[in-house]
Amino acid sequence: MKKLFALLLTLAMVLSLAACGGGKTEAPASTGDSKEPAAESGKTYKVAMICDSSISDGGWGMACYNAMIAAAEKYGWETAYSDSIDQSAYYDNIVSYCDLGYDLIYAPGNQYTDAVLQAAEEYPDIAFALLNGAESTPSKAANGNVTSLLPDATQIGWIAGALAGLMTESNTIAFIGGMELDTTKGKYEGYKEAAAYVGAQEGKEVKTLDIVYSNSFSASDKGIEFAKAMMDQGADVFFGDASAVDSGARQAIDEANAASGSVKVYDIAQPSDSLGQNECIICSQVTDNSGLVGLSMEAVENGTFGGETIYGTLQNGVLSVGAISDLVPTEIAEKYQGYLDQMTDGSFMK
Amino acid sequence: MDFMMNVILSSVRMATPLIFLALAELYSQRAGLVHIGLEGLAAIGSLTGFLVSLITGSPLLGVAAGAAVGILVNMIYAYATINLCAEQIVYGMAINIFAPALAAFIYRVYFGAGSELVQVGLMNSLASMLGVTPTSFIGKLFLEQTPMVYLAYALVIFTAIYFNKTKSGLNFKAVGEYPKAAATLGINVVGVKYVACVICGALAGMGGAYLTTCYTTTYTDGNVAGRGFIALAAVIFGRWSAGGVLLACLFFGFCDALQIRLQVSSFGVPYQFFQMIPYIATVVVLAVIGMKKAGPKGVGKPYLREER
Repeated sequence: MKKLFALLLTLAMVLSLAACGGGKTEAPASTGDSKEPAAESGKTYKVAMICDSSISDGGWGMACYNAMIAAAEKYGWETAYSDSIDQSAYYDNIVSYCDLGYDLIYAPGNQYTDAVLQAAEEYPDIAFALLNGAESTPSKAANGNVTSLLPDATQIGWIAGALAGLMTESNTIAFIGGMELDTTKGKYEGYKEAAAYVGAQEGKEVKTLDIVYSNSFSASDKGIEFAKAMMDQGADVFFGDASAVDSGARQAIDEANAASGSVKVYDIAQPSDSLGQNECIICSQVTDNSGLVGLSMEAVENGTFGGETIYGTLQNGVLSVGAISDLVPTEIAEKYQGYLDQMTDGSFMK
Repeated sequence: MDFMMNVILSSVRMATPLIFLALAELYSQRAGLVHIGLEGLAAIGSLTGFLVSLITGSPLLGVAAGAAVGILVNMIYAYATINLCAEQIVYGMAINIFAPALAAFIYRVYFGAGSELVQVGLMNSLASMLGVTPTSFIGKLFLEQTPMVYLAYALVIFTAIYFNKTKSGLNFKAVGEYPKAAATLGINVVGVKYVACVICGALAGMGGAYLTTCYTTTYTDGNVAGRGFIALAAVIFGRWSAGGVLLACLFFGFCDALQIRLQVSSFGVPYQFFQMIPYIATVVVLAVIGMKKAGPKGVGKPYLREER
């Protein structure tokens, strides 16, 4: 009798473990806000997002989550998400959503490429939108159900670098990276070259500190230490690609500004308009992720999804500049607008 | 020289949560209970500190709440390992899985699915309380710290005196070394073990709360970032003495701070080399001086009163 009981309990435990999925994942929180079902068949489409950082990290996770929600509201889709996922659990999480019958999986970052490709091969009927995926990724998907949403990393770097080159007074600027991704490296190079070019036009020799990697998108305490170290090296404009680590950096910059009595060290935020979140933010490089996600949703509804790279550039409006703070003098803001126009019509740095 | 001074200032900042966690582990191990669940206790302490600080506006209350919650959660471990004589490592791991998940859940329930960055006010440093702005290295080192840092060092001194100079401390250590002998002397072994669990929970909760009340203004899942396990290593390094534990934590803090500063100031060297520094240092030091012989002999063994 006892043995039978023990066996039953073990069975129950094994089944519940299998149902729960892996690691530190949260139960998908569905915000069922489908205003009108999208297609003529009356079907309610569902999109799920996985994210390794938190959706309230004040940076990347927050922007991508908001983008998905905005696009879902416009197209009448249901949403779900799992955040703060460990790298080892990317694939498992994606597959859980696939098994639950989600139509579109949104993976906001280059780091999910391998997991997405693996899942895409096993689920040919499900669409996978990979933000910051490489141009070569869609062709690697045998079933043609992967699309890369690729905001132009170099242009992103230019947008921030031009303002940094104009605003820096110590002629040293800094960039904090999260993980060593191709898109992060692209942003860094764009940032460096734009700042150097713009600085040269102003008669300054602007130097960018070597990129540092926190290897995490959630360790804001590392951001604090990096920012302090970089400020000690003289950096007075910061940009980054590291979500919550950038938030930590901004905290350290605000403290330093408070200690010195005036805002002398600045930060440029991304990928959403974060003006007002921290005192040191002078501007934001904005990526219209919701536009990109919306395009993917439209393609899924029309059955035309997959196998391509959708670019995001200044020219097609996916990349833009957020509100500029009062800390930026009017003449500089005007010069900055001039450079932005050059970037849009293709004459920047020529 | 400037570089070194900045590294030292950084390492004091980064070592403080480790000191709290390592002291928690020290008290626990000295009573014979090995606790590998510090990571979980710190996580729930960090969330509680953040929430209470946000709601009440007082970081001090946040720290106190963190300690209280740490004690509560550790009581699960205490009951399981002391009364039910369960395997300590297993329950420590269970706390490691349960507590951070609970913290993440509570965070999500309280803030909803909203994705705004919530920031909380930090504790004031001694310098700002006194109204001074120190510019010298010594000034910055001693004055620009939050009260929690001073508390950590005071606790180290207190622990050293307690274990080595007081009768109560000696009884405490006896429980960890050979509880049966301690019991024959009339020491309440179970009582002492429970007290150890309370202290461990409180200190670990405070260590976690330090992260969100005195260090960063935001809470993110996983902000403890392995410090619980580093604290465990620090206790072994430090040969189970308060002073040794302090030096071990400062050493770890130093390596971490060095790694960050080196990444910033050197060009061209792959950053992975610098990130390895704290862990290679750990392995080297543990290999050289990490002999388990110095530890309490009765650690890890459940205390069964009826056994001969």
